[in-house]
Amino acid sequence: MQNLIEYAPLLVRGAFTTIMLALASLALATVLGGLGAAGKIRGGLLVRSLVLGYTTIVRGVPDLVLILLIYFGGQRLINIAGKAIGVDYLELSKFWAGVAAIGFIYGAYLTETFRGAYMTVPSGQREAAMSIGMRPLQVLRAVTLPQLTRFALPGYANVWQVLIKSTAVVSVIGLEDLVGLANDAGKSVREPFLFFSAVFFTYLFFTWVSQTIFNAAERRYALKELGDAV
Amino acid sequence: MKKIILAATAASTLAIAANAAEINICVEGAYPPFSSTEASGDVVGFDIDIANALATEMGMDATMVKTDWDGIIPALLEGKCDAIIASMSITDERKQVIDFSAKYYNSPAGFIGAEGMMVDALDGKVVGVQRGTIHQDFLEGEFPNVELRLYGSQDEVYLDLQAGRIDAAMGDSIAMDDGFLSTDAGAGYAFFGEMYSVPKYHGEGAGVGVRQEDTELRDAFSAAILAVRASGEYAMINDKYFEIDIYGGE
Repeated sequence: MQNLIEYAPLLVRGAFTTIMLALASLALATVLGGLGAAGKIRGGLLVRSLVLGYTTIVRGVPDLVLILLIYFGGQRLINIAGKAIGVDYLELSKFWAGVAAIGFIYGAYLTETFRGAYMTVPSGQREAAMSIGMRPLQVLRAVTLPQLTRFALPGYANVWQVLIKSTAVVSVIGLEDLVGLANDAGKSVREPFLFFSAVFFTYLFFTWVSQTIFNAAERRYALKELGDAV
Repeated sequence: MKKIILAATAASTLAIAANAAEINICVEGAYPPFSSTEASGDVVGFDIDIANALATEMGMDATMVKTDWDGIIPALLEGKCDAIIASMSITDERKQVIDFSAKYYNSPAGFIGAEGMMVDALDGKVVGVQRGTIHQDFLEGEFPNVELRLYGSQDEVYLDLQAGRIDAAMGDSIAMDDGFLSTDAGAGYAFFGEMYSVPKYHGEGAGVGVRQEDTELRDAFSAAILAVRASGEYAMINDKYFEIDIYGGE
């Protein structure tokens, strides 16, 4: 226990890295998911094939493989490109490699989440809005997005919960996140069980806070007057 | 065009100048007492002290790059660091992808027993050893007159030594020191006889890992290891962590 207190600042630093990594990855995943969904719904044959390839491949490959591929493979590409133009060595940041990998993976899941949510908004509503002279962007903002958000929220919350846990795999590239640091510290003082228990409760705390926030958001976007089954 | 060439030349000259003075070394941070992480996040231990000593000997400025064990060889190959000093044993398998300097330690094998035990008195005595290890091979090859008792784990060996069922035990010196002798249970027990490090049985030891094309760096490390051995700096670092000389046989 003494060790845990002594190492607490280090673990807090790791937890902060984990949170920042998860939030940055979520932002990237949301952008990719939005683009992917738009591509699947509105894109031509080429765009749709590209998005299909993206969601199929990424959802079929383990996180760990993709993260190693982006961090080490990306570094190799940078090295080769650097040699060709005479730059000596450019370091690929561990943090951004982690964000790229996790954002890229969960963007594929969010593509499906957003697409599914979009499909639940009846097309008659869009047609009705167009018929009274609203422009496509106005329709999106005033009619489609508010409803889409409501349908997307449970799936989005689900993806976030999985995403924050999958940040643990970045410790394999040496990024000092909560799990990586707890592993090093636990082995260094020979109390791995104690340190992993701390990690367990920290993650539980993160997901509990997230759940609370998403529950509030779901209530905010719920159709109260219909008394639906939230 | 000329400007670009000039700039490129200047850049590469700078890069060479910087490389001559700086070296990034991959270390692990989860293998005490060789490499462990402190509460401040710093990595400390035998590997790190040796890394600094070798770099100083080579006239370089070392930066420790903390890397997870699973990603440590890829990190070397992709240039995240220039050398690995992480208690990595020299094996033929690893030699297919990276190269090694000469060993910087080879934790020798030794006997432990109740204080006062002697090697001369071993004939006919019962010695405990973990089954399927290099230590069993060594005892069978070099001490045919002792009676071996084989165990599934090193901890069982300690338990039976304490229970008096065996007169002595053989195993990795650091593991036994760390796991038994320096614990409360190890009171009244000690190493006896000499430390053994025979490549035929005990392997080549741990070396500094470098990329295969960096043969100069590899040779520089090998030379630096011998130099710190000779200067006594190795002994100073060694004694900070261990009671025995872990370099093993010359």
